[in-house]
Amino acid sequence: MDELELLKKDWKKQEEGLPKLSYDEIYRMILKKSSSIVKWIFVISILEFILWASIDVIARLSGKYQEAETLGMENFFMISTIISYGVLVYFIVRFYLNYRKIKVTDSAKVLMQNILNTRKTVKYYVWINLTVIGLLIISTTLYMLFFSNELADSLDGKEVPVGLIIVAAIVMAIIFVGFLALIYRLIYGILTRRLKQNYKELQKLEV
Amino acid sequence: MNKELEHSFVTNLEQNQNIVHKVCRIYTNDADSHKDLFQEITIQLWKAYPKFRGDAKFSTWMYRVSLNTAITLYRKSKRSIKTSDFDSMDFKIKAEEYDDEVEQQLKLMYAAVKQLNDIEKALVFLYLEDKSYREIAETMGISEVNARVKMNRVKTKLKKILNP
Repeated sequence: MDELELLKKDWKKQEEGLPKLSYDEIYRMILKKSSSIVKWIFVISILEFILWASIDVIARLSGKYQEAETLGMENFFMISTIISYGVLVYFIVRFYLNYRKIKVTDSAKVLMQNILNTRKTVKYYVWINLTVIGLLIISTTLYMLFFSNELADSLDGKEVPVGLIIVAAIVMAIIFVGFLALIYRLIYGILTRRLKQNYKELQKLEV
Repeated sequence: MNKELEHSFVTNLEQNQNIVHKVCRIYTNDADSHKDLFQEITIQLWKAYPKFRGDAKFSTWMYRVSLNTAITLYRKSKRSIKTSDFDSMDFKIKAEEYDDEVEQQLKLMYAAVKQLNDIEKALVFLYLEDKSYREIAETMGISEVNARVKMNRVKTKLKKILNP
């Protein structure tokens, strides 16, 4: 006899041993808050949007931008401000639309797809920010190196090879971006590992 | 209106709670996790309930939401599944109904199912619940052919776990 058939027969008998919750016990449960992965992804994503937007605001308030303006980069900052807020709004709208699509009544595959898409939207946003920060570190260094005396002054006339400064800027950018990317991977790795595994398992079937 | 909705939901769930308990049994290994998962499924069911039209049976709709919660939304505690956990689990095998050999075999079968991955467990669960391949396919979001193929693979895998 097929083992699974044997199990099926016994499975029906298991019902007698199942816990029985009362009306009140169930009622109390619907008053509690969900702790589902979707909720966590939603909360963390919103925090990410706030974090990246506030870095910009803080930089403005603390006068870092004025400093840059005196370096003759005001046009550059003007354009980058418009672009960065445009990008932020675009991603928040996309994120919200994706989030709305998540329905527990869809099939398992569609549900997983939608959750991963929401996740992906924020992921792209963060990667864009990380890339911009990396490029900013490098380009600011280059700018100061070739178009202003700021760097030369701060070096106090010591001779430092240009190549070394460029390499140092690139290394700094990589370390900074790499560090943030690592934290990022840790947070989401823990959160979505099982979801991704299950999604892959379903996808494998389609090949 | 809200009170009415609450009442009809809780009544419906109270009558059909076995489905949720069975999902919890397949996916969790101890009473605490069982309770946790039951709680989360209940919340998800309740959140989706206002959109439940009644064109499907309440129980059919429950299978989908419960399994989705177990394999997609629920954040499992870190405890890994060990075969030895099985003894502490509450599958009661009634000694008087089976001879020793069958009883032993069943015990091993349940332990083997516990070793499957989340998706395979869902397939086995629906199979044990006597669902058609069409229903299994719809719940998982795969084609009927793929559901059959996968089910056969799961059967082979179970055999391998049982007879290494």
